[in-house]
Amino acid sequence: MNPAFDSILIKVLAGAVQSGTILLFPTLGEVLTERSGVLNLGLEGLMLIGAFFGFLGAMKTGNPYVGLLLGMAAAAAAAAIHAFICVTLRGNQTVTGLALAIFGTGLTSFYGDRWVSQRLTTPIKPMAIPGLSQIPVVGPILFSQDLIVYAGYILVALFWFLLFKTKVGVNLRAVGENAKAADAMGVNVVGTRYFWTILGGALAGAGGAYITCCIHPYWLNGITSGKGWIAVALVVFAMWNPFNALVGAFLFGSIEALQLQLQAGGTYINSALLSMLPYITTFAVIIVATLIVRVRHVGTPKELGIPYAREEK
Amino acid sequence: MLRFEKRDKTPVRLRVLVPICSVLLGLLAGSVVMLFARVNPVRVYGAIVKGAFGSAYTFSETLVIAVPLILISVGLCLVYRMKFFNIGAKGQYIMGAICGSYLALFGPATMSRPVLLTLMLVLGTLGGALWAIIPALLKVYWNVNEVIATLLLNYIASYILWFFMYGTWGTRGFPLSKNFALNAQLPRILPAPSRLHIGLFFGLAAAVIVWIIIRKTRFGYETRVLGDNERAARYAGINVFKTVIIAAVISGGLAGLAGIAHTSAVLRILQLEINSDYGYTAIIAAWLAGLDPLVAVGVSVLLAALEAGGYQIQIVMRVPFGIVGVIESSILFCLLAGEIITHYRVTLTRRLSTPPRSTPRIGKKCSGALDERARGAHESCL
Repeated sequence: MNPAFDSILIKVLAGAVQSGTILLFPTLGEVLTERSGVLNLGLEGLMLIGAFFGFLGAMKTGNPYVGLLLGMAAAAAAAAIHAFICVTLRGNQTVTGLALAIFGTGLTSFYGDRWVSQRLTTPIKPMAIPGLSQIPVVGPILFSQDLIVYAGYILVALFWFLLFKTKVGVNLRAVGENAKAADAMGVNVVGTRYFWTILGGALAGAGGAYITCCIHPYWLNGITSGKGWIAVALVVFAMWNPFNALVGAFLFGSIEALQLQLQAGGTYINSALLSMLPYITTFAVIIVATLIVRVRHVGTPKELGIPYAREEK
Repeated sequence: MLRFEKRDKTPVRLRVLVPICSVLLGLLAGSVVMLFARVNPVRVYGAIVKGAFGSAYTFSETLVIAVPLILISVGLCLVYRMKFFNIGAKGQYIMGAICGSYLALFGPATMSRPVLLTLMLVLGTLGGALWAIIPALLKVYWNVNEVIATLLLNYIASYILWFFMYGTWGTRGFPLSKNFALNAQLPRILPAPSRLHIGLFFGLAAAVIVWIIIRKTRFGYETRVLGDNERAARYAGINVFKTVIIAAVISGGLAGLAGIAHTSAVLRILQLEINSDYGYTAIIAAWLAGLDPLVAVGVSVLLAALEAGGYQIQIVMRVPFGIVGVIESSILFCLLAGEIITHYRVTLTRRLSTPPRSTPRIGKKCSGALDERARGAHESCL
């Protein structure tokens, strides 16, 4: 093969892993949140909150990792609002999620106004893993990345194990499948839902903060540009399985990287159509995934979006 | 302990009180957010009120924003009643603007004004309806989640507009169409500089018609039954497919109408920024109105005032417009939190059938609880 083509391909795929990681965190978080029976459609808002407060923290402290943690904490706090309204007060989860998305967009564009276009001078740097990064092709794509990407790999394995191989995972799934039975088994339904909703929020915040602390180290209003909504769709694609979430996120990362490469390469394809590509693909994927879920009867937690009340029949 | 009983009907008192408290708490939340940014909320709210109602002109500008909000939120009242969560009004609005503008920009120049305008409005309505029928079909046939589908269609519609504006519809490389000819401009109803247009009457008519549909027709009854319990609706012989699709078409069509009316009467040009975010604001309007189309008219004017004032504070005081989103979403949060009292009767009761606790410790800490249980037991004996 042509070596120049090879190097472009490796560059695109390495970019795909980065773009994929942005999507991986919110998707993974939402898989867990929805497994507990809570639907959080506000990922876009949570990612924006994570992105802005992550950027702010990195700017103020000069340490992008501190920024990332601050972004996660801020998004977790916003997710706690969702948990309170949906779990304790039994509000409509769809509309609450939507309110959360509007809230995140408004809040970050209000506070972020004075930070627009300021650059972060100390973004997260790549850190090649010795040994693994020497493997041809795979090394530069997967193992010459930054710590956040590696954290993503580890979290996928960790959450897969947790969800399917441990008592905690059984309880979590039970709460989402049949809260009444879980309650009878002695599982704390409310606590479980709170915990995974807030953790899912923190992960969405991590995805957003990863954008501003590493990939695009500057602030723009609405910098997530709909990635939160794509993540919500990816959860259906992933059929509520952390490992599939990784596959889906990296697949969409590839589309994004390919689109950027084509735009930078000055092809004759219209840029509006290229920018539309991820959304069109997501739209197609959500239809196909829904059909597969229907035929194979897998995935959807049965009580997703249904609040639990002990005294009701 | 707290006891929750599902209500059959929400008392009118609560139906009024909860939204009003939500608005007040939403404004309070906005103040807190402003204080963190060292912005004086009193001055901001003062400027918003002045910017929205200060003069006849500013009030007419508020109504200009209210028109699309009314048209869209009235349609949303209908679909949300059947729990079809169309959040794609933004995309439907854009498609309406694109389809209607096509005729304005490329239609035969010889067409008389009433014919051209009527055709533009019809095309715009159809464009919006088309953009709503796609997720509706996907929902009824394959159960594809309508929230995700309509949201993705918003982004796709935005890029379609982008495609045309940077393509053949733009002029000299700018994403601006040529100005609409006089024949393609929907008439304004007040003397300049007011931009208020006859779309206001469309909005009011739509509100009344949808109210009649919901309250007085078989179809409206079916949407309500469907919203309460889909299985019951099927047993009752309601054609779920037909009902969902008709409601989606009405709501999408109204959003499309809003898009073309606003573009043709207010902007008089097609561009990238055609205020399509009204599609999201209208969701809040519909919800705040308790899904009642007549109430939605008043609520739309209120939210329009917030938006109009929001533009003003951005220009005059350099307070970012994002604060409007914070206030609107906080109102929505409070409203949703309020569902616990509108949907349930919450009462404070003493638990009578307390299971016996194993070996209660005697002590100061425990004595209150023991007394309580003793009294409970006493009452249950009576």
